[in-house]
Amino acid sequence: MLRAKTRGGLLALAALFCSPSLGARDATAPIASYEISCRLDPESETVTGSQLLTWTNPTGRPATTLRFHLYLNAFRNTRSTFWREQSPRRDRRPIPESWGSIELTSLLLSSDGTDLLPAMHFLAPDDGNPDDRTVAQVDLPRPVGPGQTIVLRMEFVSRLPRVSSRTGYKGDFFLVAQWFPKIGVFEEAGWNCHQFHANSEFFADFGDYDVTIEAPARYAGKIGATGVRVSQRQTSDGRVFARFRQGSVHDFAWTADPDFRVLRDIFREPGIGDVEILLLIQPEHLGQAARYFKAVKAGLEGYGRVLGPYPYATLTVVDPPWGARGAGGMEYPTFITAGTSLIAPASIQSPEGVTVHEFGHQYFYGLLASNEFEEPWLDEGFNTYMTDRVLKSVYGDDRCYVSVFGVRFPLGIDIRRPLDDNRRYFAHATEDPLGIPSWKYRDRDSYGALVYSKTALALATIERLVGTPAMDRALRLYADRWRFRHPKTRDFIAALSEVTGRDQQWLFDRTFFSSGTVDYAVIEASSVPARPPRGLFEKEGKLSEGAPPALARAKGYDTRVTVVRNGDVALPVEVLLRFEGGKSYRSSWDGEARWKTFRAERGPRLIEAVVDPDEKILLDTNRTNNGRRPEGDPRAASRWTARAVFWLQNLFDGATVAW
Amino acid sequence: MKRPTALSCFGRGLRQALSKPYLALSLWLIQLLLAAALILPVSNSLHANLDHSPLSDRMIGVPDYGWWETFRRTHPDILGTFGEAAEQLLSTEGIATASIDGLRGIGATAFSLALLAIFLHAFALGGVLGTLREPSSSLVTFGREGMRRLPAFLAFTLAAFVGAAASYRWIYVESGRALRGRVEDLATEGQALAVTALRLAALLVALAAIKLLVDSVRAIWVARPDLPPVSRFLMGIGGALARPRRLLGVLFWYALSTAGLYAIWIVLDPPAGGEARFALVPLILAQQVFVFVRSLIKVGYYAGISEALTRTPSPEYSYVPPAAQAGASGKVEAVDDGALERPTGGV
Repeated sequence: MLRAKTRGGLLALAALFCSPSLGARDATAPIASYEISCRLDPESETVTGSQLLTWTNPTGRPATTLRFHLYLNAFRNTRSTFWREQSPRRDRRPIPESWGSIELTSLLLSSDGTDLLPAMHFLAPDDGNPDDRTVAQVDLPRPVGPGQTIVLRMEFVSRLPRVSSRTGYKGDFFLVAQWFPKIGVFEEAGWNCHQFHANSEFFADFGDYDVTIEAPARYAGKIGATGVRVSQRQTSDGRVFARFRQGSVHDFAWTADPDFRVLRDIFREPGIGDVEILLLIQPEHLGQAARYFKAVKAGLEGYGRVLGPYPYATLTVVDPPWGARGAGGMEYPTFITAGTSLIAPASIQSPEGVTVHEFGHQYFYGLLASNEFEEPWLDEGFNTYMTDRVLKSVYGDDRCYVSVFGVRFPLGIDIRRPLDDNRRYFAHATEDPLGIPSWKYRDRDSYGALVYSKTALALATIERLVGTPAMDRALRLYADRWRFRHPKTRDFIAALSEVTGRDQQWLFDRTFFSSGTVDYAVIEASSVPARPPRGLFEKEGKLSEGAPPALARAKGYDTRVTVVRNGDVALPVEVLLRFEGGKSYRSSWDGEARWKTFRAERGPRLIEAVVDPDEKILLDTNRTNNGRRPEGDPRAASRWTARAVFWLQNLFDGATVAW
Repeated sequence: MKRPTALSCFGRGLRQALSKPYLALSLWLIQLLLAAALILPVSNSLHANLDHSPLSDRMIGVPDYGWWETFRRTHPDILGTFGEAAEQLLSTEGIATASIDGLRGIGATAFSLALLAIFLHAFALGGVLGTLREPSSSLVTFGREGMRRLPAFLAFTLAAFVGAAASYRWIYVESGRALRGRVEDLATEGQALAVTALRLAALLVALAAIKLLVDSVRAIWVARPDLPPVSRFLMGIGGALARPRRLLGVLFWYALSTAGLYAIWIVLDPPAGGEARFALVPLILAQQVFVFVRSLIKVGYYAGISEALTRTPSPEYSYVPPAAQAGASGKVEAVDDGALERPTGGV
């Protein structure tokens, strides 16, 4: 149930959101609420809008200025910070040179009509780029005191680019995101309002949204958006008006495509809630609708069981059309975009993977609204970790595939979760530490490998070290405590420490906030027949050569195993020695020293020695050296050599087939 | 007189290949020797990394994704960017020549050996086509005929190689670049796949045309040693242009039978055999029998092309004198004319 503030200009909005179905369960008071009317002109790819912004100062200090995100200006020209940060690598698909912008045409103080537009200027708080127009500041005639509310009337024109990075158009398809002037987050330290970067996403305060979208009549029933559609009417002049409302969210995105097929399903699960799932799917993907629904339901249940119920009444899933790849795989409150291919074998879990992941952002981003600019791992990394858990429990392991001229063929090779599908981390392990803002990573590969994959592997490692029940309790505590708020990494560490009864900061220092690597290896494993001791021994008080009879009858094997730490980072590990006869010996090692030797005298023969036998340390960059057997077994290598020769013979034959 | 069909030409070619199995054996041996150059580095690396590893158990049957990813990452000198190059080759955009820069280790060596394979291919084809026309022949004939025709066949092979590479570049890769924006603008992915299929089909037609032209020139080059080189060359081109359907048919049956062989291989899946040590022996035997059978089909194809070009009717392109045509009603030997086969001078 939404607890709406009953102060000043909020009264009208509060009345709009009094219905529980439109608000969110357990929501907090709104800080930034928007009432928007906009008109889509598909021919000129523009959205013209007016909005009433109601903002409440949530801090204990007065606000003398206001800052706004004007995200679409990232697409204004190649001088923007977003454009400058694009990778120059040749193997990257370039962003289409299709320009977008957002222009504020009017900015009035609602109370007295003061025109604030002349006082607006652009800032570049992150990089000082004078050509970047994604952040604007307005000097206020009067400060907004702590807890006070200000209402602004704004008019704007948003020109959409050809869809590339989470927003834009392709033909008649529109994904309209980051499209309206959006106020930053005011904190005790001042405004937190970053520029739009190539790698970063968003950060905003919660509020209530009431948005009316006007579009040509061919879009009737084919508009999807954040929240619940509360009305739709068509006019005689060929226009359609669709109105959406949602309380307790921090962004609003919408989509429109006359080709959409609109499908509905209901998720009902005691203890988790009832949610209406709306799927806007392309006609050529209709055959995969059931897979989409199953994936969403898997997410609702999997995330809901660990992190608490999904609090909204609806979820809209968008399947973008061909040629709009940049619109896929994105999350907005109660609204996600996924994406699939015409030929998508079930074994390779697409669109399931992206659907579950984007749904997961309803928690890690949506409800736990961390700062995606400054701590991107809190949404992308935590969500990747949870995505792996949900996918593994519902679908099992993924499968490799080979793409042949655009058609994907599954191979019979498992991709084990979460280790194998996060292997990109290992190739970039030392490039950056994790704890830096999103735009300071070396490049997109490093950002993806560390923010998504390293975080997922680090969390999975922590889960294995503290145990799944403790991890689940920590996640639930973190989620309950920070729902509808802005948590930071320290808040999760505090939750985990609280649950485990031990300060876990050290674990995060070594896994999250270090660019060092973890690599343990068994470099020696020998087991040789024991020999009787030789030399001088005391017999009847005299020294004489030859071992006493008790020692001379040597039995069994002398075993020696040496484990080394190749990586910079030390984590506690276990070492398992397996012997003939079913005996085994398991030892814990704090992993601090560079090496440790294990010896066993006159015991059974060693079969193998394995460091980290339960695969707890998923951050280990090289697991192929984690075990060693005294006796070599050439079968695997011989078979792969034979296969390699066979493949080469075929390659050489293929190399000559066309000429 | 009934015209021989492509299938009958291919069938006769296969019979010739079976009657002279040492030709397929020679091709098999050449490929094996080429591959053997890489056996030691591959084998040593695999044994060093797998033999004492507990992971080797699960590597016997199916590949372990994690093991291979780690192996590739920690030994970039061995595989280099071979995987990425193969991936690009099969992509809708195609592979850029710049990708060759990144090849290292086995990938780079395999590339060099593939170039050597082209050279040996020219030699082998001279040997195969020359030997097929000898009534009594042996491996010695194969070597002699191969060396005798090497300069000309090398020129044909290189010309065809350049033609094929240019076709790939200018038909597939460049069309992909030129159409990229328009393909993205298409309404559905199905349409985009159709465009890729059309680009591929155009490439395949170009490659087939190049192959048939050069194979026709080769066949006539061997069949008409009595003519001057320029005439033989032009006659080869003319032969391909005069009988495109029959030649294309032979190529079709060759492609189909090779694809069938690969299908059988995939269905039977010999690499999935048992894990016992001795299971390696049947695996190697099965693999080499496969390569040998594929070489037999290849020899059959070249013999079929020769059949399609030189059998009656179409005396204007046939080397067979009219008197011999009457007896050429099915026996392969009947179309051979030793007197015309012997070269009158250097090729």
